[in-house]
Amino acid sequence: MTTIAWQERSGEIRLGLPADLDLALAPPLILNLRRGFTVGDGIEVDGSAVEYVSTACIQALVAASRHAESSGQRFAVTSPSRVLTAACSDLGLDGWLRQWSGREWGRPQWSRT
Amino acid sequence: MAVEGSRVDNLGQFKQTYFDECAELLAIAEAGLLRLAPGTFDLEEVNTVFRAVHSIKGGAGAFGFSDLVTFAHEYEAVMDAIRAHTVPVSYGLVEALIHANDALGRLIDHARAGTAPPPDLIAAAVTALRADSGHGLPAAVIASGRAPAVASTAAAPESPRRSFALRFEPNPDLLLSGNEPSFMFRALARLGKLELGCQFDALPALTELDGEKLYLKWAGTLQTAASLAEIEEVFEFVADDSVIEITPLAAGGAPAAAVPAPATPMRSAAPGTVAPPGPPAKPPGPPVLYGSRDEPPATPVQAETGEPVQAASGGQSIRVDLDKVERLVNLVGEMVITQSMIAEHLRHLPPGQHREMLTGLEQLTQHTRDLRECVMAIRAQPVGSVFQRIPRLVRELSAETGKDVVLVTSGEHTEVDKTVVENLIDPLTHMIRNAVAHGFEPPDEREALGKPRTGTLHLSARHRSGRIVIEVADDGRGIDRRRVLERAVERGLVPPGVQPGDAEVDDLIFLPGFTTSEMVSSLSGRGVGMDVVRRNVVALGGRIGVHSIPGEGTRFVLSLPLTLAVLDGMVVSVGAERFVVPITNIVESLRPRPADLRRLVNLCDVIQFRGQFVRLARLHRLFDIPDAVEDPTRALVVVVEAEDGAQLGVLVDDIQGQQQVVIKSLEPNFRRITGVAAATILGDGRVALILDVAGVHELSRRAGPGGGRLAVEPPSQTEAAA
Repeated sequence: MTTIAWQERSGEIRLGLPADLDLALAPPLILNLRRGFTVGDGIEVDGSAVEYVSTACIQALVAASRHAESSGQRFAVTSPSRVLTAACSDLGLDGWLRQWSGREWGRPQWSRT
Repeated sequence: MAVEGSRVDNLGQFKQTYFDECAELLAIAEAGLLRLAPGTFDLEEVNTVFRAVHSIKGGAGAFGFSDLVTFAHEYEAVMDAIRAHTVPVSYGLVEALIHANDALGRLIDHARAGTAPPPDLIAAAVTALRADSGHGLPAAVIASGRAPAVASTAAAPESPRRSFALRFEPNPDLLLSGNEPSFMFRALARLGKLELGCQFDALPALTELDGEKLYLKWAGTLQTAASLAEIEEVFEFVADDSVIEITPLAAGGAPAAAVPAPATPMRSAAPGTVAPPGPPAKPPGPPVLYGSRDEPPATPVQAETGEPVQAASGGQSIRVDLDKVERLVNLVGEMVITQSMIAEHLRHLPPGQHREMLTGLEQLTQHTRDLRECVMAIRAQPVGSVFQRIPRLVRELSAETGKDVVLVTSGEHTEVDKTVVENLIDPLTHMIRNAVAHGFEPPDEREALGKPRTGTLHLSARHRSGRIVIEVADDGRGIDRRRVLERAVERGLVPPGVQPGDAEVDDLIFLPGFTTSEMVSSLSGRGVGMDVVRRNVVALGGRIGVHSIPGEGTRFVLSLPLTLAVLDGMVVSVGAERFVVPITNIVESLRPRPADLRRLVNLCDVIQFRGQFVRLARLHRLFDIPDAVEDPTRALVVVVEAEDGAQLGVLVDDIQGQQQVVIKSLEPNFRRITGVAAATILGDGRVALILDVAGVHELSRRAGPGGGRLAVEPPSQTEAAA
């Protein structure tokens, strides 16, 4: 089942990414991200299960990070899988992933508030 | 077995398509090479040539044409070295590349015929290429007697690593076509050390984001031993609609200093694909300049703006067997005749009855006309396909004669029927040869006359009065009328003591053995062949005229029908005969009053028409037709205009009506008749002659005041000679 797991936890939204994040998953991912920022204070995206990711879905995550930055809401990509990390690296987004996954600091990096 | 047979058929079909594409690609490559010159050059031109050769090589590899692959690789390697700026462009190299292009064409011919190429064919071209480019080619190519085959092109381990700056701005819809940038970058990373940065500046807000579109862009550097071609191959499937820049960097990271970085992004058609042809119809554009010897422009430029010429953007197209189009054209021709026959029958119905049928006929007529235009548009081709051969011809002639010539072309997009295009090549070649060999003075002589050392040759095409008019104009010495007349007298073509007018003397050059100069060279031979030019043009239903001003130059004007199949005409009657006047020539029809008619003493009859006098041509006298209306005030005058603007009043008994007619050439079955362009079959089954307005004008001029010449006249001197 390629579904995006939605969890609300004390005002914050946790999105569990599915294994297969192909192009078709980009529109629903964007809808979830938009809704998350609307109903919650911030979004934590769990990328641990990702086994395939399209550029479209990574682009959606980048757009979400820029939204968080401009709106002052929280955003993080937690536990990115090896595949997700490699894909970001291929796309020249390893710096972005480091910033938003908190790997550089050993914990999820929330946007500046 | 059936399946096997089908596979063989398919392979043959694919091969045929491949060879057809090869012809186009060779022409593209040659056009690009002719614009290549030392100094600054347009990298996109080099890319175009490279891609053309690369595509030929790719197909050759697929079909197992190993000689073709070998040689194309050698050729391609030189183009790759040029665009990587490791081989400087010299005139010698351009010549060698042009010959390599020819050699490639011959190899393709051998592959098509299934014959082995002569052993020295490849060797000679390769030797020439290496003589001019050897020091800049990759070592593997230089060292090997035969270049590596396609599969091993990536292998060049001893090649030094080079740095390239990369920029990739994908089309927003790139993802929808199944392409995935991360895979492409992974492939790039396998070629060397890739450092890539992602740019978000075009990324919309999350609330505006379309999940299936791609907004990210990338820029970075690649250190690699791979060739530019190998890097481009990574972008092979996205090159059509994405912006891709691959710029070689010097050691310090700056763009390679020897030549400027590309001014425009490489919007490349992917290697291995054929760029679709340009849009079917475009208005004639501003002229394009081509240099020939000393200072050729790096790229063709718009003569008016100096801006580089942009390649025509492509539309979608399919290949259709020409026979199928021919069948379609013939069927439309038959349909036009049938429609005329129905119209003829319905014309005799009692007035006011069968209205639905008459309305239906009107619609049928309109649809037939639309269908005819659509079908003819399929056969229409821009004359650019002929024009693109001319720069090379001028270049060669210029080199051989030592004359500096710049070619300026305009109207390449002017469209004309395929048959006409094909038949234009020989006349144009003759005229260009004639102009360069005899029209232009040598540079020193030009300088002494106060002219620029470099001569200018204008080649233009345009539509006028439903015909295509092509002009070849030089700014050379003009026709030496004294010598031409002397020669005509020597040959007994002009009686001694007679002094023809300038135009008539100029016209003599279309006789066999005449030339605009008495100079004889290997280029033009004796007599240059203007007689052949006129014969070919006339055979196409066209005309050729010459206008010359001593010391200033000569201008040849060629007028040809746009199509050789169908035309809109006005059917007129003269006695019991019917003629068709092409609608495009008709200005007005009128019944003159007695006061409108004049006879110029010993000259001709004229009619006063809108404040000017127009020569009156009595068709029944010119064509010896009995029982026609003699009195113009009881007949009708159709005022017509020829392509050169000359007007003529054609006296006819009556106008029968307008209709499309199918052109049936007279020459194959009878012979050429002055004043008659062709024949047609009318709806009632009668044969009618289609008038050639300029020919009627000429006939009327020669007939004099009495106007009594026979239609099937003794050929004039010019025609007899032709």
